[in-house]
Amino acid sequence: MHIPDGFLSPPVWGAFDALAIPVVAVVARRAQREMDNRKIPLLGVMGAFVFAAQMINFPVGPGTSGHLVGGTLLAIALGPAAAAIVMTAIVSIQALVFQDGGIMALGANVFNMAIAGVLAGYLPYRLLAGISRPFAIFAGGVLSVLCSACLALAELVISGVPMPRRLLFLSLGLFLVSALIEGAITLAAIRAIERLNIQRLNPAPAPRRTASPVFASIGLVAVALAVVGILIASTNPDGIEHLAVAHAPAWMHAPLADYQVHGMASPWLRRAIAGLAGLILIYGACVFTGKLISRYSQRSA
Amino acid sequence: MHHVVVERWSRGSSPLHARDPRAKLGALLGFLIAVSTTESGSQFAFAAYAALLAAAIIAARVPAGALVRRAALVLPFSATFALITWWSGDSARALALAEKSFLSGLAALILVATTPITDLLRSLETLHVPRVLILVIQFLYRYLFVISEQAQHMRLAAASRRGLRFRAAAGALGVLFARSWERADGIYRAMLARGFSGRFPALAPPHFHAADVVFFCASVSASLAIRLAL
Repeated sequence: MHIPDGFLSPPVWGAFDALAIPVVAVVARRAQREMDNRKIPLLGVMGAFVFAAQMINFPVGPGTSGHLVGGTLLAIALGPAAAAIVMTAIVSIQALVFQDGGIMALGANVFNMAIAGVLAGYLPYRLLAGISRPFAIFAGGVLSVLCSACLALAELVISGVPMPRRLLFLSLGLFLVSALIEGAITLAAIRAIERLNIQRLNPAPAPRRTASPVFASIGLVAVALAVVGILIASTNPDGIEHLAVAHAPAWMHAPLADYQVHGMASPWLRRAIAGLAGLILIYGACVFTGKLISRYSQRSA
Repeated sequence: MHHVVVERWSRGSSPLHARDPRAKLGALLGFLIAVSTTESGSQFAFAAYAALLAAAIIAARVPAGALVRRAALVLPFSATFALITWWSGDSARALALAEKSFLSGLAALILVATTPITDLLRSLETLHVPRVLILVIQFLYRYLFVISEQAQHMRLAAASRRGLRFRAAAGALGVLFARSWERADGIYRAMLARGFSGRFPALAPPHFHAADVVFFCASVSASLAIRLAL
């Protein structure tokens, strides 16, 4: 689900842009460190593959069909950091070239699909692959789509798009169905890829050390519940606002107070400037730390 | 494929095409922030934003009808949520939802219709967007059409055999994956043979002229003026 511009309120898109920029910067640094130039064309072409894979329809029941979303498949084939970069590239191209998703909403879309979606897809593989690899792959696909969709809907609801209870549960049901479809497609696709048994093609091996099955299952169920919980809690914004104000540390309190509590009453300009200043601050911090890190690593090399 | 049209528009020449991508990106962000923070009821402001975009389209000398039709692709999605909002009894907000998403989409489309993607990405690199991300986006964009065409051939072949069942579709996906993987390997070796050193060479580094400064300031203050006055 790509959120277009005009749907998210300024504090919401501002917050997610501010969150996504440093996370993508860190992941990109990590990916850059981990791989040589050889991998870069591979990541781009794999992104193009995920794009093109949407054209291959999987029949699911009478008259309906699904297609691959791809976060979990990429995470298993390339590793989570590289997959997050590829998904960020896909979401950016969709926003820029295909007008599928907004520019200001890019941070939210990147966070939902490229960061949370890839992590949620990789987590079951990481935890459960030692016990049952097929189940781990399936669970990854399910959790990835469920997580992205619930986050997107929660962001819309927090932004003030009204969402009657009945509709909320209907969309939760739809999310669950499409999540199960993604799990099945991911599993079938990975099996098909492995059956081809191509020399150079070696999807990342399952991690050797795995957590105990009970602990891992509890963890995964907790993640799923938290994701659904965020969505349901977001329909009750007073609760969230109360929580934010009551539990935010003091240094967060001051900007938040202007931002949210009487945000509606205060002039829009202050909010816009606050959001913009935050973005500029983070941009500056990213450039500065990037310079610092590269200088440090040059010196130590 | 329909996005090739935008690529062709972006190679045109006009006052707007000539501006530095960073100036256009800044102008776009200013416009989007202004639209996003506009109150739901202020129809005059939305009309003024539309007039601003119309001026940009005229300056860009791109076919207006086709551009607007493409930007209208967002409307089915917006209309769904607008209907929900309308049913909940907030008709001003419902209308604003559709207006904001359409205006924002159109503004972003004007940027890509006047700026080749490669120029846009190059200027993002000068703004310290991580190099890996820029390179991956560039490769993605270059091979998107190649691999999509492959997938389309597969779809056509499947349709002529009365469609694929689930396992067969998975097999097709597997083949597409394997071909893409092999292609990436070939691409890398071909690029290495041509002296690829980890970044794409630029013919002319982007340069910020006085006209770009004027354009940026004028467009941002126009957006701001509409936001504040109407």
